[in-house]
Amino acid sequence: MINSNNKLGKSGAFASLFLLFALLIFPAVSLAAVDADALLKQARDALTIGQIDQAQSLFNQVPAPGPDGDDGQFVYSRMQLARISYSMKDPGKAREYAEQVVVVYPDNVEAKNFLTSLDRETKPEWQKTLEDCKRFMPNLLKGASMTLLLVFFTMIVSPIGGLFIALGKISRMQPFMAISWFTIWFFRGTPLLLQLFFIYYGLPAIGITLSPLAAALIGLGINYSAYLAEIIRAGIESIDDGQTEAAKALGMTYSQTMRRVIIPQTYKRIIPPIANEFIALIKDTALVSTIAMVELMRAADQMFNAYFNVTVLVMAAVIYLIFTSVFTFIFEKIEYKVGVYERR
Amino acid sequence: METILELKKVVKKFGSLTAVNSIDLKITRGEKVVIVGPSGSGKSTLLRTMNFLETIDSGEIHFEGNPCGYIYKDGNPVLDCQKNLCALRSEIGMVFQQFNLFPHMTVLQNVMEGQVTVLGKSKEEAREVALQMLEKVGLSDRATVYPVTLSGGQKQRVAIARALAMKPKMMLFDEPTSALDPELVGEVFDTIRSLADDGMTMVIVTHNMGFAREVADTVIFMETGDFIAKGTPGEFFSAETQHPRIKEFMDKLL
Repeated sequence: MINSNNKLGKSGAFASLFLLFALLIFPAVSLAAVDADALLKQARDALTIGQIDQAQSLFNQVPAPGPDGDDGQFVYSRMQLARISYSMKDPGKAREYAEQVVVVYPDNVEAKNFLTSLDRETKPEWQKTLEDCKRFMPNLLKGASMTLLLVFFTMIVSPIGGLFIALGKISRMQPFMAISWFTIWFFRGTPLLLQLFFIYYGLPAIGITLSPLAAALIGLGINYSAYLAEIIRAGIESIDDGQTEAAKALGMTYSQTMRRVIIPQTYKRIIPPIANEFIALIKDTALVSTIAMVELMRAADQMFNAYFNVTVLVMAAVIYLIFTSVFTFIFEKIEYKVGVYERR
Repeated sequence: METILELKKVVKKFGSLTAVNSIDLKITRGEKVVIVGPSGSGKSTLLRTMNFLETIDSGEIHFEGNPCGYIYKDGNPVLDCQKNLCALRSEIGMVFQQFNLFPHMTVLQNVMEGQVTVLGKSKEEAREVALQMLEKVGLSDRATVYPVTLSGGQKQRVAIARALAMKPKMMLFDEPTSALDPELVGEVFDTIRSLADDGMTMVIVTHNMGFAREVADTVIFMETGDFIAKGTPGEFFSAETQHPRIKEFMDKLL
């Protein structure tokens, strides 16, 4: 062994000289890189067998990059250290390591994201929730404004459509009766969801292609017209025949009688059930999310799937509740106003 | 005297029940006709045929000398077009047992409504006429209230004002006091009486024999769709000339 050592000694010394020479030629960085790779490998090995202290000290030995940078070893090592410190419940230390990276590379995305989420983690719950709200609000409001558009449109269109369907149903003219009967029978008798699918996905088969918004407006408009038609019809039929007779005896035509005498008297009776339908409408607009419309529910769902954060669902619920409360309040006011003649 | 409304062989059936059985009746301008009779005798139905609220099954109705309200297909009457009917009805005022005021309009609006909607008058003009009519029935101080706040007698007087505001050529009263408390009957009869004094042509269906006697030019007793008796109040109520059925009916009333 000693002999051979001696033998090798000479050639070893030669080799050492060669190595020294090589090192002089190769840039110092290159040497450091080779060194760093080895360190990282050792450190990872130490991590796999659970020697965390060892791993930390090895990562720590990875030097800061020279003026020409390195191949990412420094960033890797410091971020590993930051994560280890964080998992050892030492966010202060973790921040130090991440900041080391930012000092060298101010634009490093990984380190910056780490610091941001570290900031989040160390904040109190309420502040985190507030930030969630701020983050989700713009999209939710965009969705909510679409929901409001759908609701307002349907609230304007469906009483008019409903009135005509109702008048058709109580008329004595066969074709009008038939159309009204069919509309109510079909659109009250099938799910709104299915009607929306039919209008959006089914109509293109016969050459009618609609935008999601148009399909949603048509679907909601017709469906709610069919529901309101029955309420309006019941309202009209609940008015005493004496009213029609008195109007007739004055010489009023059918349409004058309806417009001036009968329909105004139905308001008080039909507004509570219509308000009920409109409250249901606010929530039914969520169904149009199935035909590629981004309204409140869809916006909330998208963000929930992206962040898996329940806050966004709670926010959506609150917005729906605000809508229904405001509309309930408005309808109560209207109901009071149209019934004023019944109070002594 | 000039005939304003004439019924010729008017028949009205409800299913198998004949409510009006081939009635002939001439009403001259300014005449006050009172129709009495038991419930279900067809008197209200007869009155309602006069402004086409009931569609007759056969016969003719002439207004101011012209057949009207119906066109005849194979000799059967079919209601005329809405335009003609409305024009006719606007010339014949009607007052109902249940008042049928429009509850969603104030008293003034009730009296203006027909003038504006049917006659096409301006609101200012209609308001002026309406206030005159309310004055006439003694209710100008209640012009701005809703009917719900009125007593039955006041409601009926507003209903009379509403009909009068159309400046009708004749008035139909369908049991105008039957839905009223007894103490409110007087004010409504006073109003009708003052109309009678103005020379308004009137057909009144009532159960009130006293009023019939007082106001009528002609009293008609009707039962099961037929005229049992018809005559002046003198003939009608005097013991010698009275029909035995009328005597029986009047005894029951007391």
